[in-house]
Amino acid sequence: MNKSRRRYLISFVIGSALLTLLYFSIMNSIKNPEISNLPYYTFRSLLRISIAYFLSLAIGLTFGIGSAVNKKISAIITPTFDILQSIPILGYFPAVIVIILGIIPGIIGLEMASIFLLFTSMTWAIFFGVYDSARSIPINILDAAKSFGIKGFQFIRHVMIPAIMPAIISGSFLAWCDGWFFMIAAEYITYAGEVRSLPGLGSFLAKSAYVYNDVNLSATILILITSIVLFINYLIWHRLTDKVSGYAHMIKLGFFGLPHNEKHNKKRLTIQFKFRHRVVSKSKTRAYTTHQRLISIIIVAVIFFSVIFYIMKKIPTIDIVEKNILVPEISKLPVYAFFTLSRLSIAYIIALGIAIFMGVLAAEKKKFAMVFYPLYDIGQAVPILALFPILSVYVSHFVGGRLGLEVTAITMLVLDMIWYMFLNIVVAVKSIPEETREVSKIFGFKGIKRIKHIILPAIMPAIVTGSILAWGTGWNTVIFAEYMPHGNEVISIPGLGSFLSKEGYEEGNTILLIFILFVISSIVILMEKFIWKKLLAKTEKYEIEA
Amino acid sequence: MALLEVKNIIKNFINTKKILVLDNVSFDIDKNEFLAIVGPSGCGKSTLLRIIASLETPDSGVVLFHDKPLLATTPEITMVFQQFGLLPWKTVLENIELPLEMHGFKSKERREIATRFLKDVGLEDFKDICPHGLSGGMKQRVGIARALALEPEIMLMDEPFSSLDALTAETLRKEVLNIWTDKSNVTDNIIMVTHSIEEAVFMADRILVLSMRPSKILSDIKINIPRPREKYQRDRKLFDYVDEIKNLIIKDIQTSDHQNNLCH
Repeated sequence: MNKSRRRYLISFVIGSALLTLLYFSIMNSIKNPEISNLPYYTFRSLLRISIAYFLSLAIGLTFGIGSAVNKKISAIITPTFDILQSIPILGYFPAVIVIILGIIPGIIGLEMASIFLLFTSMTWAIFFGVYDSARSIPINILDAAKSFGIKGFQFIRHVMIPAIMPAIISGSFLAWCDGWFFMIAAEYITYAGEVRSLPGLGSFLAKSAYVYNDVNLSATILILITSIVLFINYLIWHRLTDKVSGYAHMIKLGFFGLPHNEKHNKKRLTIQFKFRHRVVSKSKTRAYTTHQRLISIIIVAVIFFSVIFYIMKKIPTIDIVEKNILVPEISKLPVYAFFTLSRLSIAYIIALGIAIFMGVLAAEKKKFAMVFYPLYDIGQAVPILALFPILSVYVSHFVGGRLGLEVTAITMLVLDMIWYMFLNIVVAVKSIPEETREVSKIFGFKGIKRIKHIILPAIMPAIVTGSILAWGTGWNTVIFAEYMPHGNEVISIPGLGSFLSKEGYEEGNTILLIFILFVISSIVILMEKFIWKKLLAKTEKYEIEA
Repeated sequence: MALLEVKNIIKNFINTKKILVLDNVSFDIDKNEFLAIVGPSGCGKSTLLRIIASLETPDSGVVLFHDKPLLATTPEITMVFQQFGLLPWKTVLENIELPLEMHGFKSKERREIATRFLKDVGLEDFKDICPHGLSGGMKQRVGIARALALEPEIMLMDEPFSSLDALTAETLRKEVLNIWTDKSNVTDNIIMVTHSIEEAVFMADRILVLSMRPSKILSDIKINIPRPREKYQRDRKLFDYVDEIKNLIIKDIQTSDHQNNLCH
């Protein structure tokens, strides 16, 4: 048995032992009528998330490879997926529940809706990863394959699959983390004014906060979930990363990613960064023809039209649409948009400041890296949405009501956004070429001057990519965090998210819901077009190959 | 009867506008010949080679191999790539075995063949390593072993030494010549594209000089220097050939520059 396998085996045994111990002590020390179900809940959540994962993998692989090898498929699929990707998942969840429960009522329908939500949260990362990497197989390898007669099934087996393997693994890792992120939203659902929950860790966490008013139990479950995520990250994804490390510059890491070797850790971060960066910057700068755009918009419009048709049981005429959209609250829409955007912006600026500070320190000073890297690993594994019930209760001890919720929402957004930017910044600082550093030394750049002229320009592209990712995840978090079902009452703060949740979950006004979604997606796409794409193009010239 | 006949090849590249790259190129190759193709950069010499390899199709014209038109890649014509084109996820041995597998060799047989050719290029100790861990020179040795393992009639080489450092390139050139002249080797023909005229003169029996785009054959020169050539490395004759070809190309570049200037 080689050394790396032995280390994995040891950490598997120790990790399992620690988890068992954690379960044992939680189940024995906490008094709650449902506590004995904890292993069963874990099993259900794992099962749910695994089914969603394998579905996303199958769809992502099929369409990803299909689009990469066939231009006709790609012309339709890629721009359509790009639009769908820019719609916040939690925004269309109410509509999904209505439809699926309409077809299959009861617990099975609910289970399917929840799997569907998890599936949509996972599949984009895998699809775009597979698509981009399948298209970027080096031309010399393609030539060699062709010239030596490697084609058809053999080509897929010997060239395509190994070439996209690193992307499948990185994409799967991200998808898996995203799945846990959305778990609480997928298991604890308010629908038509009442709460429906599926057995699982996420719903148990929410119930302990909202029903049992036992926030300490919620916090304990959150710690448990985080430990499980870390354990699986290490055992499965990092192990698989290891397997392709021979050819893909991927490298192993210690438990929790603690730097047993500074160089290795940097490389691992680089891989995660590279993957995300490639997926983001490629999809944001992907050029579509007007023709392709039009087709994709038509496809998306048809999807929504059929959704409305299905729910209303009739063709939506202008009258019906008008009646549904022109509720009294609609006049407040601009104000709501303003509030939500302000919330996001405030959180973004705080997160950006902290991320730059932490990122530069971690990359430049080993001492800080020793603290910040593990913090990153854990912070990234915490499913932020699950933090919501806990945080809101803790915050309400100091500030109650709406202001309390406001503070909770912004804190969650900061915690959610920060790690995307942190990772990108660390890698960018690390990949400033030695030569540039030497230039700054020889010509005497120090302190502020060094940061202004060397560090900041070097990390600019990374900040832009990190920001795109941060805003993307931020939209979902803000939709979730503006609206809190607490027992039988609801606390909400004005914004697009609470408006959407209210119309979707309480009123069941699907047309209005889709209209709000359309507004949100338009904001996302406009920001992309007028802010991120411009910034990406501007910073591209100082891009340093990571 | 020629082994390979290249007849009236015309090839355009379509970018934003149509660019004529190969303008009616024709030549023959006889058995047992080492042909080098040289020319100014961007002249389409690699394109010509890729057409012979069936990696690209000409807009008009045909390549005849044993008097039959060449329509698809064949194990009788293999290629060595400038950037090696090794599969990074396969070991050195697997990289050589894979083409053999594609052409129906049984597992035991291909292991035996691959090992033999790996020995020829002196890499038998590295057979279980992935290309990632090899130097450029070693990678190209694997590339050459892979191309020879199918025992093709013609081996094509596209700038095979230009990704290597000078010393490694020189050693490898001699090795290729040694393998080629070795009686046990069945591959009698090599067509090599290079931008190094010295390299072409040192290695080839015959040199095709291509002109600036749109490329025509500027000259077809037989190199009458006996083999093994190592003895003649500092010989006057060798430098005369180099000068002759260099002057041809420089003159061509100047006249086409001149023409371009007149156009503007």
